[in-house]
Order: sequence, then C-alpha cells, then structure tokens
Amino acid sequence: MKPFSVQDDKKVTDLNRRQFFKVSGVAGGGLVLGLGMSASKHANAQLIAEGPSELSPYVQIQSNGRINIFSKNPECGQGIKTGLPLIIAEELDVRWEDVDVIQADIDPTKYGMQLAGGSMSTPMNWTAMRQAGATARLMILAAAAQQLYVPIAELRTSESKVINTTTGDEYNYSEFAELAATMPIPTVEELSLKDPSDFTLLGKRYSGVDNHELVTGKPLFGIDQNRPDMAYATYTKSPALGGTAISFNEVHIKSLNGVIDAFIIAPVGDLIGQGMNGAAIFGGVAIVANSTWAAMKAKQELEVEWDNSAADTNASWSKLVANAESIADQDGPMELLNNGDVDAAFANADQIIESFYEFPYQSHVNLEPQNCTALYENGRIELWAPSQTPTFAEPGVAAIAGISPENVVLNQTRIGGGFGRRLNNDFAFEVTAIARLMEGTPVKLQWTREDDMAFDFYRPGGFHSYKAALNAEGIMVAFSDHFITVAQDENSQRPIEAANLSLDILPMEHLENVRVTQTLQPAAIQTGYMRAPGSNAYAFTFQSFLHEVAEAAGKDYRDFLLDMLDREDLPAPPMPEGMPPGLPAPVAFSNERARNVIASVTDRAEWGRAMPEGRALGLAFYYSHSGYVAQVADVSVNSQKEMTVHKVWSVADFGFIHNLNGAENQVQGSVLDGLSQLMYAKISFEGAVIEQSNFHQYPLLRMSNAPAVDTHFLEPIDVFPSGSGEPALPPALPAIANAIYSASGERVRKTPLSELGYTLV
Amino acid sequence: MATLNINGQSMDIGELDPSTPLLWVLRDELGLVGTKYGCGIAQCGACTVHLDGAPVRSCQIPVGTLENQQITTIEGLATADGTLNPVQQAWIEHDVPQCGYCQAGQIMSATALLSKNSNPSDAEIDASMSGNICRCATYIRIKAAIKTAAQTASGTAFYDATSQPETA
Ligand code: FES
Ligand code: FES
Repeated sequence: MKPFSVQDDKKVTDLNRRQFFKVSGVAGGGLVLGLGMSASKHANAQLIAEGPSELSPYVQIQSNGRINIFSKNPECGQGIKTGLPLIIAEELDVRWEDVDVIQADIDPTKYGMQLAGGSMSTPMNWTAMRQAGATARLMILAAAAQQLYVPIAELRTSESKVINTTTGDEYNYSEFAELAATMPIPTVEELSLKDPSDFTLLGKRYSGVDNHELVTGKPLFGIDQNRPDMAYATYTKSPALGGTAISFNEVHIKSLNGVIDAFIIAPVGDLIGQGMNGAAIFGGVAIVANSTWAAMKAKQELEVEWDNSAADTNASWSKLVANAESIADQDGPMELLNNGDVDAAFANADQIIESFYEFPYQSHVNLEPQNCTALYENGRIELWAPSQTPTFAEPGVAAIAGISPENVVLNQTRIGGGFGRRLNNDFAFEVTAIARLMEGTPVKLQWTREDDMAFDFYRPGGFHSYKAALNAEGIMVAFSDHFITVAQDENSQRPIEAANLSLDILPMEHLENVRVTQTLQPAAIQTGYMRAPGSNAYAFTFQSFLHEVAEAAGKDYRDFLLDMLDREDLPAPPMPEGMPPGLPAPVAFSNERARNVIASVTDRAEWGRAMPEGRALGLAFYYSHSGYVAQVADVSVNSQKEMTVHKVWSVADFGFIHNLNGAENQVQGSVLDGLSQLMYAKISFEGAVIEQSNFHQYPLLRMSNAPAVDTHFLEPIDVFPSGSGEPALPPALPAIANAIYSASGERVRKTPLSELGYTLV
Repeated sequence: MATLNINGQSMDIGELDPSTPLLWVLRDELGLVGTKYGCGIAQCGACTVHLDGAPVRSCQIPVGTLENQQITTIEGLATADGTLNPVQQAWIEHDVPQCGYCQAGQIMSATALLSKNSNPSDAEIDASMSGNICRCATYIRIKAAIKTAAQTASGTAFYDATSQPETA
C-alpha cells in the first residue's frame, strides 16, 4: 500500500471556494440535508457554504479531481479516520489515492452522533456511510447523463471515472461535479449498494490517513493546539477525591515568574455520581501562566487548605478486599439471576469446585495526559477538545460557562489514546470554568501525568466468588457466582458506573442451574468505562474458573468449551432502552461462531502438542461487543515465577473486516494491553487518595516483553462488521493465566501478577 | 544564553529561565510540538530528541545546559525537500501508529539506534527501545518497522540534522 498525502483542514479553507463543487448528501444516520449552512458555528463550513451550491457533509469534489471525504468521528487510535472514509469511497467508486480525508467539525445537525466508544463507530455508521457514498455516486451519474445526453443506464462508474459503456469514453468525476451538486438528492430506495463481492477497496490493507503527519511531528493532538496569545493553565484538586479548596498561598503563587493569575474554582455537580453524562468538576486551584512550565512549576509550590468533608475518606481498597474475603463463602443479598434448582444440583453433585477471584481498579493512562484549550469571549466559547464524546460535552460546557448551547463551538482534535477515558469530558468542563474567568484569553489547560493518574474515571475493581457442580460424568451441571462490587455509598442500590455485571457471560446462558447474587460495597471513587468494559475484568475470572472446572472434570479445555457451546442459539435479545438511533438490531449469541473461533485458534496453535517442562499452552474464549475471540498463549514459567509469553494466537470473528491493517493492529495491541493489565495494572486508594502517581508505580508493558501475536480473522458468516478495538483484549488475560497453570500447576486468582511475585523475562 | 541549535538552525529563545526543560521550550516557545509530554520523569520516552545524535529525554534537560549542542527533533528528520528518513517511511509502510502519540519518541529512539548500528539484533532493538512506552502497544509493528528501515537504509547514511553542514 502506497502512502498518500493528506490535506489538512487549513488548506481547504485556503482554497478558492470556486474550485469546490459540493455534491451529495446522505440519507439515514440522523443526517439533515440541505441545511442552511449560514447557521453553522464553524468558520470554515461557512466559507464553503458561501459557494454556489448545496453543501454536502461528507463528499466534496474539487475541479482538479481530488475528492475530499469528511470523517465524522473522533480519532483516538482506533483507526476510524481511515475506516469510515474508506466505506464512503467504496460506494462512491473512487480510487483511494484520489481521496483526501478531512476531520469533520462537531455538528450533530450534519453528522448525527459523533463519538468514539463501545466499538460502535463502525457498526453504527456502516450503512449510513455506504449510503453517503452511493448517494454522491448516483448524483454524479445523473449529472453525467444530463451533460452527455446519454441514458443513465448506459453509464457506469469505476475508479473515480464515469464510463460510457457504448462508446468506452471515460470522464473524470470532476467534469460533472458542478451539475451533480444541483441534482435532486436520491432517496434511500433509489440507491443500489454494491454487492460485497464487488468491493474494490474494502477488505484490503490501508495505512492510517494521518500517518505521514504523525511521523513528521505535525500538530494534530489536543495538546498541540496553539492559539494566538494563549495562556497555559494547571488545575490542582484535593488528593482526597471530592475535596474542595478553601484557600491557598495566593500571594506567593502570583509572585512567581510567568504566573498571570491564580484562583479557586468551586466544584460543580456530582462528579462521582453523574458519570459520563454529568457537567461536573471537582473544586480546586487554577494557575494561569505564560508557559506550561511556568504553570507546572508554580503548581509544585502550591499550598492549599482543603476541605475534605465531602470526600469519602473511608474509601480504602485494602478494606474492600478484606471485607470481600470475609463474605466470599456466602451468597450476596441481591439476587441477579436464579435459574433452575441450584441448591438441588449442588446437593447432588459429585464434585464441587469453589474459587475466589479478585481484580483491581485500573487507570486508562492515555499517553497524552488530559488537556483542553478554550477561548471565552463575548458570551461565546470555543473549545479544542481531545474528547471521545464531543457531542455530549456541549451542554455541560454551556451550563458551566452560563451561556446557551448555541454559543458553544467544539472542535475535535486527534486523541492521544482514548480507551474510554475521554468519554468523560471533565477536562473540557475544567477549562471552561478557567477560561470563563480569563475572558478574551485563550487558555490551554494541561494536566500533569500525576493529575491524570490521580483523577481518572477508573475501571472499578471487584470480586467473584464462584462455585460449580460436576455430576458423576464430569459434566458441569450448576454454577453460582457471588459478585462483590462497588456502589457510590451505602444507600445506593446499584453498582457505581461501569461496575455492573451482565448476565449473559459464559456459562450463565449455557447451564440450567445458575444463580448470581451481588453485594455492594461503598467507595466514592469515580469510575468509568475502559476498553472492553466489564469484559476486561470478567474474562479473566470467568475463563480462569471454567478452566479450573474443566481440570477438575479431567477434560481438555478445548473439548470442555466446545461441548458447552454445542447447543441451539437463544433468541436475539431486545434492543436495550435508550440506545441511540441507527444501531443495528441486537443479534443472538451464535454458538457456531464461538465454536469456529475456538476450533480455528487451537488448530493454528497446534493445541495438544507436547511442550517442554515449565512451558504450556493456555486457551480462552470471550464474546464481547458482538465479537467472538479465542486465543491461545504459549507461556514459560520457572520456579522463581519468571515468565515469558512467547506467542499468542488470536482468532476473531468480527464480521466483515474492511481495513485489515487496522483490525490487525487493534488485535495485536489488545493482546499486549491484556498482558500489561494482567502483569502490572493496579490502582489502590486509602482515605480516597489514589496511591499511584506515575509510570514508575503503574508500569506498562515494554517492547522487550511483548510476545509475537498471530492474528487471524475468520471468513465472516455475516457481512455486517462489528468493531475491532475491544473484543480481543479480554481473552488475552485468561489465556495467559491458564497457560501459567498448565505450565506450573499454580492457579492465579488475582491480578496484577506482579503482586504475586511474577515477573516477565 | 539566547540561541539553540535545533534541526540545523539557530533558534532564538530569548531570556528564558535556564532551568526550563527543553521539552517545554520546544513545544511552547518554538512551536515544535512533535515532541510530546507523557510523564515528565524520564519514564515514557514520548519526549525523546537527539542531542549530538544521541537519544535523550527532553523533559529532563534544562535548556540552560544546551549551548553548542546539536538538537534534532522529529521535525528535523525529513530532508528539506520533505523526503522521509527510512524509519519514517517504514513506520508508514507498516502502519505502526494507533493513537500515534508515542510515535515521535519511538522514531527518534529508532533513528538513533540505526544511525549507530545499521543491523541491530532483536535484543539490541529491545534494549534501545525499552525507554519508550506505547500505551496502544504497537511494539510488534515498531520492531518490524525498525527491521525494514535497517534493510532499506543499509549503506545509506541516516539523515539527521546534526550531520548537515552548518547553516550560515
Ligand atoms: S515526558 Fe519525558 S520521558 Fe516521559
Ligand atoms: S500509538 Fe498510542 S501510545 Fe503509541
């Protein structure tokens, strides 16, 4: 794949707008066509809109033949800025080399929901993006027919050209673009989408559209934003989460070199309870300076008197662990699931297996620490936000700035790692509060790494106390789980954000006798969604425990899983309440697809082969975000618990893969991320104060310990794609943990393994 | 101290506090934002630049210590006509980046390695790259790209601003 250059936004605005012909609109996907763009809040959109014809949100064709395709969603490393435009380009029937990809403005009236999360970008937009491309193509064909006096049926398209099938004459799209822009927008019914077997672009390998700019160090990220006469800010919050600032050494701070201003900001809302939907910030002290370094240096000299009365100073990870251990052998007070007759099954069991598993809080640690840039002026605020949910940020920004949402303009930047952290917009709300007090001065708020680790929305920790019954034939006949999780306080009747358990995890739907109960333990520590939320913790515990059960039954784990999955599918679940429009209907868990990935990965890894002493293969399967993934890990471990993960085989069924490079990169990264979490990742807290501050206390995997990853995708049964950024992470942890057991005989029942004495060599 | 030699050019930094880390001078004063902030304590390598050809963590280097030293940043790797160095080319060919945030630092470490050792072993690559974190864990592709770059670059000198003739 030959790299191609990408035009940046600026060039578009610099172009003489008469060079632009605006074609296409799009049906579906919540998009509005023919919208008067004079209403746009974005300067460059307005400039283009002053041109002669109707504006298209997705496709522009320039008179020189270059094709601009707009990418609507935030890019955080998941490859969407390459992936979505590719889908449009396919149905537009153009050469990828002719395309320049441009990051779209945040404008829900044009683009509908603009977010990166839940592996939903591809499935949610798949049909809409295809229709966007097909619409523009049909308008070009209609214009060509009119301009050439040829029936449309005698024209076809190929590689950015209209071809007269009678004469063989070829014309560049740009020759018809101006007329095409005036053509009526076809209805969805008039569109004919390609048969997937006719795809010329999708399914191949593409290098990311920003790669050239990334490798040359161009400004792309939130942290790279620079406005004229910009000031730089830090924001310091109470180490005890939820505390507020009473006073600080203001005179001293303001006397420091480079400091422009310093002030206290009062808390807004309930940051811990409102989760990702709330316009909430912790209180603290803002320092505004003439450089990042001046602001950071002054921050080091800050002495603040905190009021920690609102902080949950009882919140302690070690207490949560001790209490969970003390109630592990009971059922929890809340019953989540009770199928069949669990008590009878256990009473009649030939063998009962019980295990207690622990998983810690974790931090997202995006490599780009949180930051945001804002300018508040004349009752209007503009932000440059590395946010995964810019659409959701707008009302909160408006509320905190005390203005109406029409006066909020959000610009999206590239994101230096999402992983779910930037579903929350607290950094945008903080800079809004600061910029509000610095009217007329653009302010870039920069969190330190220490801020970032101490004020995350953490992956919640928790516990599973499992029990399984085997009958005389060694068949698993009953399962119970006492799930011990976290709630915001002792009055809360539900788990805190992202701390709930879904009730469809293998083996819950595959056994007759299943009971799941729950205990809530209070800890007011803000939590949130992290790459493959829930699954990133539960795959380790469930798949390790099922391996224990298989071992107790004397069964090979592959056979155990394949037996369990050898059954009819259940009906598809209903669409959950409150989901955004445009989502594909939920599909039933397919036992066949699950069996296929397990069979395939065990074949590829030569499962069952003889291994040297101290070295073994481990297998795990997990289903999340509509993706089926089975992995085998090849692991050595010695008596000193020095271990090496030599290789991981991954087989996934994500439906149709439209950019093989991107999907493969996601799987490789997911497996390595899984290993990193298994080995090192843990956040702990005492008195609501986070105990880790930087990478020396929260290590990440480094190159020397990265295993090889064999990445394979099954031929899709169904063409509809699911996302590839999340589902390959969860099974990596138990595949490695199961291999450790088979290699050493030691079962690991909590993470991180570094706390159990394991090291990677 | 008022000037730094960066990417073969003399750059005026005025009357800056000499204790300011080079990282923030590059980013805030000189507009060279390709060099990234990740940790500020020499743990992540996102801020890696070359000092007289050797990789260093710019978050740890007070700008006052840099007189008479040649600094190269990610912006200085391509030639003046925009030709990418073999490492940058290999990065695109292997589609290494995910979020891309660490990649400038990775490329600086890799370029420094290959300019000293044109055919590094796996262990040598691991050792040279161990100071660079990739949160997205693109390590497999980074290593593959380094090997590709070593092949394409064999026999050709790595462009590096420090090897350029002094600009007048
Ligand atoms: S920012 Fe310098 S090593 Fe992390
Ligand atoms: S590509 Fe995201 S940190 Fe390396």
